[in-house]
Amino acid sequence: MGRPRSFDEQVAVIRAGDLFAELGYEGASVDDLVRALGIHRGSLYSAFGSKRALYLRVLRGHVEALEDAATDADLTLLLRAAVERAPVDEEAATLVRRGLAALEDGLPPGPGSTLAQLLGDHLIRRATGATPTRETT
Amino acid sequence: MTTVEITGDQLVVTMPGLDPFWALRRRIVVPLAHVRGATPDPGVSRESAGTRAPGTYVPRVITAGTYRKDGELTFWNLRASRQAVVIELTGERFRRLVLGVDDARATAERVERSLTRG
Repeated sequence: MGRPRSFDEQVAVIRAGDLFAELGYEGASVDDLVRALGIHRGSLYSAFGSKRALYLRVLRGHVEALEDAATDADLTLLLRAAVERAPVDEEAATLVRRGLAALEDGLPPGPGSTLAQLLGDHLIRRATGATPTRETT
Repeated sequence: MTTVEITGDQLVVTMPGLDPFWALRRRIVVPLAHVRGATPDPGVSRESAGTRAPGTYVPRVITAGTYRKDGELTFWNLRASRQAVVIELTGERFRRLVLGVDDARATAERVERSLTRG
């Protein structure tokens, strides 16, 4: 429909994902998106409709990737969405729940490996740059 | 100030006071099925709106009326003292509306919540 896109939408979605993970939903302005995606403002709106539509598309892609293979994924986007958007955006909340369920399904069996631990480890790694040490039993 | 309301399955944009004098329109009604999304966009006024067709432009103060840019028609009713919200449309004369409102974030969220996307 309409004019052919003069940019690669997949690449744009990936770059938008990096930006939303780094700055959050509110933190990433349209100016930031236009700059990071390297496209015109009009093209951004034409392709995605709105910042929220783009955000939900990014989040859906992230969650689907987690459902395919949950191991070792960067969870920053999911954690940010859980804190920032899930409480105020029903569609985002549904996607976050799906993402958390996928992570839980992907946990290695046995005690000492819980979703809370996985998320906590990621947060600590984000905050300190170090992998938390834990006594293994 | 422009008001944006959801009435049934329609988006109703009203330009009160003297705004219709600048923008040459008092009301724009669009079925919600033709609304693709709404975004608060404080930076939109820093870019050129395009060519007036027809409308009013006072640099940094008022951008109002119909503008053409890259072959697309956009409707503007924005002044410097308001917050800009961009409403993207499909199947309408205007590709998008750029409106100055009281609270762009709240307006955008309200419009977004009224949409059902496939």
